[in-house]
Amino acid sequence: MGKLYKFLKYSFITIWTVFVVAPFLWALTTSFKDFNSVNGGATYIPWVDFEPKLEGWKVLIKSPANGGVDIIEPYFNSLFVTCTASLISIVLGTLSAYALSRFTFKAGFVKNNDITFFFISQRIMPPIVLSIPFFLFLGAINLLDSLIGLIVVYIVLLMPIAVWIMVDFFNKVPREIDETALIDGCNPYQAFFKVVLPNSVPGLIVAGMFCIIFGWIDFFFAFILTFTEVQLLPVKIVALNSSITPWWSLSASALVSVAPLIIVAFIVERYLSKGNLSGAIK
Amino acid sequence: MSKIDLNNISHSYNPNDPNPVYALNPFSMTWENGKRYAILGPSGCGKTTMLNIVSGLVRPSAGNILFDDKDVTDLKTESRNIAQVFQFPVIYNTMSVYENLAFPLKCRDFSQSKIDERVKSVADTLNLQSFLNSPARKLTADQKQLISLGRGLVREDVAAVLMDEPLTVIDPDLKFRLRRKLKEINEEFKTTLVYVTHDQNEAMTFADNIIVMSEGEVVQAGTPKELFERPNTTFVGYFIGSPAMNLFETEASSNDSVKINDTIIKTNTNLTNLKDKKIKLGVRSEFIKIADNQKENLIDVDVDKVEDLGNYKLLTAKMGNFTIKSKINRETEVPSSNVKLHIPAEKCCVYENEKLI
Repeated sequence: MGKLYKFLKYSFITIWTVFVVAPFLWALTTSFKDFNSVNGGATYIPWVDFEPKLEGWKVLIKSPANGGVDIIEPYFNSLFVTCTASLISIVLGTLSAYALSRFTFKAGFVKNNDITFFFISQRIMPPIVLSIPFFLFLGAINLLDSLIGLIVVYIVLLMPIAVWIMVDFFNKVPREIDETALIDGCNPYQAFFKVVLPNSVPGLIVAGMFCIIFGWIDFFFAFILTFTEVQLLPVKIVALNSSITPWWSLSASALVSVAPLIIVAFIVERYLSKGNLSGAIK
Repeated sequence: MSKIDLNNISHSYNPNDPNPVYALNPFSMTWENGKRYAILGPSGCGKTTMLNIVSGLVRPSAGNILFDDKDVTDLKTESRNIAQVFQFPVIYNTMSVYENLAFPLKCRDFSQSKIDERVKSVADTLNLQSFLNSPARKLTADQKQLISLGRGLVREDVAAVLMDEPLTVIDPDLKFRLRRKLKEINEEFKTTLVYVTHDQNEAMTFADNIIVMSEGEVVQAGTPKELFERPNTTFVGYFIGSPAMNLFETEASSNDSVKINDTIIKTNTNLTNLKDKKIKLGVRSEFIKIADNQKENLIDVDVDKVEDLGNYKLLTAKMGNFTIKSKINRETEVPSSNVKLHIPAEKCCVYENEKLI
């Protein structure tokens, strides 16, 4: 029984690992291939099956004048927009989530749960519904094709995620923690910043991770709200494609675009495995 | 350390409803400085609401609270200088044990040397010295509760320390020692302690005064002896004491006696106005003994069972429809038939509509 279980367990882990890692390895080898190595049948091992070339990578950093595509600027644009929008969403989202979790609001038939649902409903709605309003809105305030405009739009997209995760998280942080802080002599703001917030770091990390992922991978709004002045990475990568698909540079750009998420995943995994996400009291 | 007055306090969680439900019915009470109080009652009877009103976490729907004759009803929790310990350990996870204990002092801007001194002293009292630098979240549940308790005791000048079943999660041996420790602290520092519990033994051994509550009502407040010997209502008689008070549904047969089946039982209560009314006679099982040479107040019973409970025997007897319990000495032999039990007149409590006459 024990042996069979072990065998099945490790077989499953192996298969799963191959399943997850293979596309990355494929992209990695492809990024070093040239036209002939890609189109002349499947090749696998560098130096044996094909001669590695740096062409796929070089194109990414060359300026368009020299026949490249220059993804460096879009890369930093993406980083900047994602991080700023995530940060603002987390700050606003956490504050509203705390309010929704701890205080009772009532305006006619609208109560706390309805407000929370209103936030979440922004994510349930198909994004395309928002495209025309956003376009007209940004146009009206002269923020089309600008980083600030994108940040504003991304906050609308990301804050519901932060509110949703944090409301749930705060609901699980017992009220006694806040009450104890009050009894110990904090005012409600100190209770929030000194006691509740430090206890909520795991929730903040999860919410932050989701915001970063959803912000980073967004193509749709980046595509319709920017033109020439500002470009974000996903749009730029799609623009790499042409009648002859450049698999090598597409692979290379896919790898660099996924790199930040992998780094985030590793950091969060460290944190998760420390057990810091376990219950705050009892 | 203050005298706490509760004047006509009542509380409802839905006061604007046409039919508000009261978690706490109006009551008035004074908690003297430096005494130990236990609030005793079944779950959901309003004990915690009462504590939260005193600490300011809940604002009462009506009435006011005075600390040393100063009205604090509208004062926020953080300005009341009160300590409260909850049923389950509440610790600040991100801080060390030392920081946890120091937190109430830090929030109130005590000097570092004073903080050091107080934290050390509380840690000594609660045997937490060796953990002071460990992260609080790494401790076991009862150590965490000690931290909660320590945070409650670290300020010397608090108006009162309110404890909401604080020893529930602590194992029995430590529980016993802690209860004694709390008593010592109270005697040494004259801290007013208010202790909520549903365990009557805990209340009896701990408190100078016990407040018994039932369904949002303060039923009786008094010393353990008063509650035991003269319960105000049948509820108190039933809730306090183990086994519960013997209660007989009966009617008055003369000015001072009642009739159980055909036996006349004399009491020390004047029953002149209660003739032919439904009343209840209550007697503690501790006071009912097997008769030796008494002439009056004897009842004939059939022995149902005798249980040896270690330090005493519990005799369960039947008399018609009534079941009577009596605590007797271990050495006493119980005859198998013709048993007469004696009910002392001075220990009889008579209840009309469940209230003591």
